[in-house]
Amino acid sequence: MNNPTARLPAKLHRRVCLVLTEDAVLAEELLARKKLASEVAGRLSEKVLLIRPGRLDAVLDELRKMGHTPQVVGK
Amino acid sequence: MPATPEIDWSARCRDALARYAEPLLRLVADKLVRPRAKQPIDELLDKAVAVLINAPVIDRRIKDQPPASRKLLAFMGISRQPRWKVGHLLTLLSALDHNEGFNPVQTLLEAGILFPELDPHNPDIEDFAAWFGLAGTHNAVVFTHPGIATRARGEDLGLPNLAHEELGGLTPPARQSDGLEWPLRLAAVWQQVHADSMRLTQGNTLFKRDLLRLQSDPVLAAPPIDQIAPIADAGVLALLWARGVGLLGDRDGTLEAGTFPSTWDGPLFALLAELFASLPVVESWDPLAGYSPTENGLSPTPTAGLLALLLARDFVHTDAVAEWLWSHHPSWAGVIPPDVTDKGAGWVRGYLLGVAYPLGLVEVSGEHVRLSAFGRYLLLGDAEPPAPPAFPQTLLVQPNAEVLAYRQGLTPALIAALSRFAAWKGIGPACTLELTPEQTYRGLESGLTLPMIVQTLNRHGTRPVPAGVVDLLQRWASKRERITIFSSAVLVEFQTPAELDIAVSRGVVALRLTDRIGMTADGGEPSLSHLRLVGNRDYESKPQRCLVTADDGVTLTVDTPQADLLLEAEIGQFAEALPIDQNGVRKFRLTPVSLRRAIESGRPLTDIDAWFTERSGSPLSAAGRLLLLGAQMPPPRAVRLLVVKLPTADIADGVVQWPGTRMFVAERLGPLAISVDEEQFAAFRDALKELGVNVVG
Repeated sequence: MNNPTARLPAKLHRRVCLVLTEDAVLAEELLARKKLASEVAGRLSEKVLLIRPGRLDAVLDELRKMGHTPQVVGK
Repeated sequence: MPATPEIDWSARCRDALARYAEPLLRLVADKLVRPRAKQPIDELLDKAVAVLINAPVIDRRIKDQPPASRKLLAFMGISRQPRWKVGHLLTLLSALDHNEGFNPVQTLLEAGILFPELDPHNPDIEDFAAWFGLAGTHNAVVFTHPGIATRARGEDLGLPNLAHEELGGLTPPARQSDGLEWPLRLAAVWQQVHADSMRLTQGNTLFKRDLLRLQSDPVLAAPPIDQIAPIADAGVLALLWARGVGLLGDRDGTLEAGTFPSTWDGPLFALLAELFASLPVVESWDPLAGYSPTENGLSPTPTAGLLALLLARDFVHTDAVAEWLWSHHPSWAGVIPPDVTDKGAGWVRGYLLGVAYPLGLVEVSGEHVRLSAFGRYLLLGDAEPPAPPAFPQTLLVQPNAEVLAYRQGLTPALIAALSRFAAWKGIGPACTLELTPEQTYRGLESGLTLPMIVQTLNRHGTRPVPAGVVDLLQRWASKRERITIFSSAVLVEFQTPAELDIAVSRGVVALRLTDRIGMTADGGEPSLSHLRLVGNRDYESKPQRCLVTADDGVTLTVDTPQADLLLEAEIGQFAEALPIDQNGVRKFRLTPVSLRRAIESGRPLTDIDAWFTERSGSPLSAAGRLLLLGAQMPPPRAVRLLVVKLPTADIADGVVQWPGTRMFVAERLGPLAISVDEEQFAAFRDALKELGVNVVG
């Protein structure tokens, strides 16, 4: 990237459902919950979980059952 | 969920007229607009709408109608509800001894001052009688422009004066309610549904679980503080009423809490007027029976209730109202249980004293009841009474996070605000609410911020919110920050970590999700002026083939433009990432460890095969199978074989097929090669020799 104004080649992924946790331990805690883990398509990084398409409500229900109060952005 | 938008009645009337077939539209326009010449349809529609809001012309058109039609419009005006089921309107007329059937409705439809509510899937209207049949006869819905209904309110309905003679025109001291009971209960039921939405059955009725929940709820099932007459299933009435007034919405057969309509920001009387106007849509409830969905969809409650109120113009005994309804209302007597011998007096007491009195519509003196000043303003068009005095400081937040709300200072706006972040625990002279983590969370989710919550409590508090409670709210609010869910984010994937760094420095993305993937702070669309798009994937669409297996069977190359995030997340379960090459091409390698990890994480071979088929077009490669299954198979054997190579594939086929040689062939090794046991080779050679084929070597 020698040219400081050059456009960056990038791919957009739209309509992605993600869970961002405060720390990696919390992400582990969520993945240890069997019902929740089955809704997680993968772990993008230590603190970022990728949710299967169309499973947002199930994830929210389960998080609330666990006593969490997730902040939902864009619902 | 957005608030219910204000209805543009003029546009709605125009839309209805636009659905008339041209001959019918011209027939209606002839009576409404009375054009002098034939005009284009659009012009006719515009003129029709202009007439609807022209008061002097409308007055003349109403005056031209027959008495039954004028009374029908008057009922709509008095009720302040512009939408009615035809069956209810005919019931009201029937109670006034007008038994002309559909005619009064048809007359108004043809005059262009009443409109059919149309199903968008139904064809345009050729004639009103056919529409009436198609739209469900008595369940068909008609509406009028509120401006027309208001002009028709003065019509004399011919109702008798049932005023009690013993009172001799005296005005005895009467009890009046503060009008807050139903707004409070509707807010409480809104909160219940907000916490846990209610599914409806296919017949649009409540499930037993929800019915029991409403019947046993300590707030909703408790009697009002100023109860004069009990009513059944007050919680169900609150639910149905909240739905009718737009506090609750119906989405795919589920009742969900909407936002508080703008009326809740205004004065109390405006809200009470709206609640009164929505009473005619509360059908499946009855003061005696409580929740009572009807099979034909027509309950006598809306019509009998409205007539009962109109009969209470002056102080009347509830028995007298019941007697009149018993002898005049065509269907009401049918809902009075046969073992009740009071001719519906209990029903009338329940409606007037249990519903209308807490709403502030009537005042009560002993056994007598009459419209209050507010009721007379609503139903008879008298002057609006003065608003109740305001007491802005009415809350007391206690150190245990309970909130006392002194009733005299409550306003619709404050009730709505409190309902969003504090749980109603009791409705009485001093209402009690509780600040809880769940309710604080719901408040924050509805768009409130912590400062807004504290500010509301302070602004209306008789003293500042205790510091301990502010800390508590702060702790609950910060707990919400621990997990953030982006329901529909746009992720930007760069080819290298360095490019992500540049994108962050340019402000294209704010959050780093992985070493190459970033996102804006709110998960929204990034500025595309800094990006050159090499791919665009929709996460919710079907996964595409985006993986190529190399000839070695273990190296997987990602087709970057086609790849999606699921691939990124899933491929790590099967393969190890290789360093990204100079062109930014991502590669992975299958290893015994990586494949075993997939099996150990609960993905059987069939699953892995299905994934590879979906992503690369073929199941797991042979090399991959070797890595995965090789160790589990019986051990390979090393054996000596005598290989016979034949000159052509046909000859090899013949040797395998002909019974004379077939018995000696141990295995076909290839198109031209077979193996033969060493001990049987001599016999094999002899058999071929008989055919003149000599095996050399």
